[in-house]
Amino acid sequence: MTLSARTPRATRDPRPEARSRPAGERPSTVTLPDRLSGAAFLFLGVGLVAIVLLVPFAITVYRGFFGDGVDSEFAGLDNYVEMFRDPILVRSLINTLIWVVGSLVLPVGLGLAIAVMTSATRWGRWARLAVVLPYAISGSAVAVVGAFMLQTDGAVNQLLHALGLDALTTQWLLNWPQNTISAILLSTWQGTGVAVVLFLVGLQTVPPETIEAAALDGADGWKRFRYITLPQLRAVTVVVVGITLANALRAFDLIWVLTQGGPARSSETLALSMYRETFLLQDAGQGSAIAVVLTIVVVGSSWTYLRSNLRGTR
Amino acid sequence: MRNLSAGRMVRNVVVVVLALIWLLPTYLLIANASVSNDTYSGTAKWFPDSFGLWDNITAGWRAADFTDAARNSLLYAVGCAAVAVLIATLAAFALVVMPIRHKTLWFWLIYCGTLLPLQVFARPLFLAASTTNLYDTRLGLSIVYVAICIPFAMFVVRNFLTTLPPEITESARIDGAGWFRLFWSIHVPLACPAMAAAFVFQFVYVWNELFFGITLTLSPEVQPVMAALASLQGNFSAVGQPAVLAAALVVSLPTVVLFFGFQRFFVTSLKSNI
Repeated sequence: MTLSARTPRATRDPRPEARSRPAGERPSTVTLPDRLSGAAFLFLGVGLVAIVLLVPFAITVYRGFFGDGVDSEFAGLDNYVEMFRDPILVRSLINTLIWVVGSLVLPVGLGLAIAVMTSATRWGRWARLAVVLPYAISGSAVAVVGAFMLQTDGAVNQLLHALGLDALTTQWLLNWPQNTISAILLSTWQGTGVAVVLFLVGLQTVPPETIEAAALDGADGWKRFRYITLPQLRAVTVVVVGITLANALRAFDLIWVLTQGGPARSSETLALSMYRETFLLQDAGQGSAIAVVLTIVVVGSSWTYLRSNLRGTR
Repeated sequence: MRNLSAGRMVRNVVVVVLALIWLLPTYLLIANASVSNDTYSGTAKWFPDSFGLWDNITAGWRAADFTDAARNSLLYAVGCAAVAVLIATLAAFALVVMPIRHKTLWFWLIYCGTLLPLQVFARPLFLAASTTNLYDTRLGLSIVYVAICIPFAMFVVRNFLTTLPPEITESARIDGAGWFRLFWSIHVPLACPAMAAAFVFQFVYVWNELFFGITLTLSPEVQPVMAALASLQGNFSAVGQPAVLAAALVVSLPTVVLFFGFQRFFVTSLKSNI
């Protein structure tokens, strides 16, 4: 319908004429001066995004069908096939999938748990602050701290040793898949705060009467959460999953500063493989193909989130 | 009743343990950035026995040219975020308030910029920057940052503008106000909180950005602060672990302070996704 249909105010507006026809929503009677001034307001935003983002995107998609080098020849899908042949790129794909699963389970699950557990208590906001704080820290700085803590004789192994968990000590950054898991744990440390904030906003929209009614009916805490609260958090969960996945898949700085994708390119994800192939190995065709696959994975995995967003703007 | 309080007990313990786990890296960062480099033995110190924070900051700061980098990043973060928010507000105003056609198309044209991974823009931008002599210049990097910041800023401001009653626009139009007048004297003042939220969000984004910092710039005079930190981490044996941690601590301070000062704004910009 209209762009404004999604907003709470417009949808809750009791007067039907205000809902169906907000100001300036009569495309059939748009006058030329109005159209020109509309174009003037949109010009810079659309122009910059188109030139700096969309045109390069199109060029990258096109370039992915050609070989490497300057006078490269049309290569069809060779670059894409190569991604499933080259063991390094296959590893990169696997790592990317581990990132998808890891960031679905850890930041989303922990974020929900922390939001629910801290929302009931007064002092919970201090605990929440501790979880949200790392979100302001850059991936690069997180990686510096992480590299320091995860060295073979670093703080993590010291702690595991002190707790008597020597079996768990390992060369975190030097072996696969520990290095990928390490990066995901650091990303969880950094990104869970977003999920907590969003779930908390969602919890505030759950009407307390529904929970009280369930309590009166004798449902215990867990049942109230499972059957009353959780179903009402669905919309928020979709958003949290979308944002968390997109952030995790695009993570570059954290992995780059932590391991540079190594050792022997074993902790690369698609984001890093693209950088290495394009800028360090000068294989532009392969790098472009990786970027395209990464785009498909990102957009595909946040599709549910996007669809709800899309519905809102119609 | 007893059962209930036992459940609460378990929950409280879990919350406290999680909070401590979350604070641990921050604590270790501060503790080991404070250890004097002379007494640092090569392994993490849980309880620092000497104090050398200022010396470590100085050592790290000098080793990777942070003065230039910090000045650059301040310029990129303030300038690009401000310009992007202004452009985004203009676009959001057109999309929400003005009677234009194909609103959904224009919205998605801008918004899809937030969906695509940065890697998909990188090489064409690198080549374009090289041919236009914008490679390794502040202007070149700034243009890219502005463009990257526009989509989400537009989204935040647009979502705010749609909550304003359309009567505001209608009455001002009937009183004869032009679109530009309407924009500056009515919608911009009203949208200030949303614009501020978008600005803070994008400031943090640009300050923390590394990928384009290393693909579109090379020289220390132009590089942003995270590129300097990455190169310092790359050869930390030269200055010692405490100095690298001290540098990481210092470059994180601006965004952490902003975050604590403007938590409300962060929540506002995140909430606009729901």
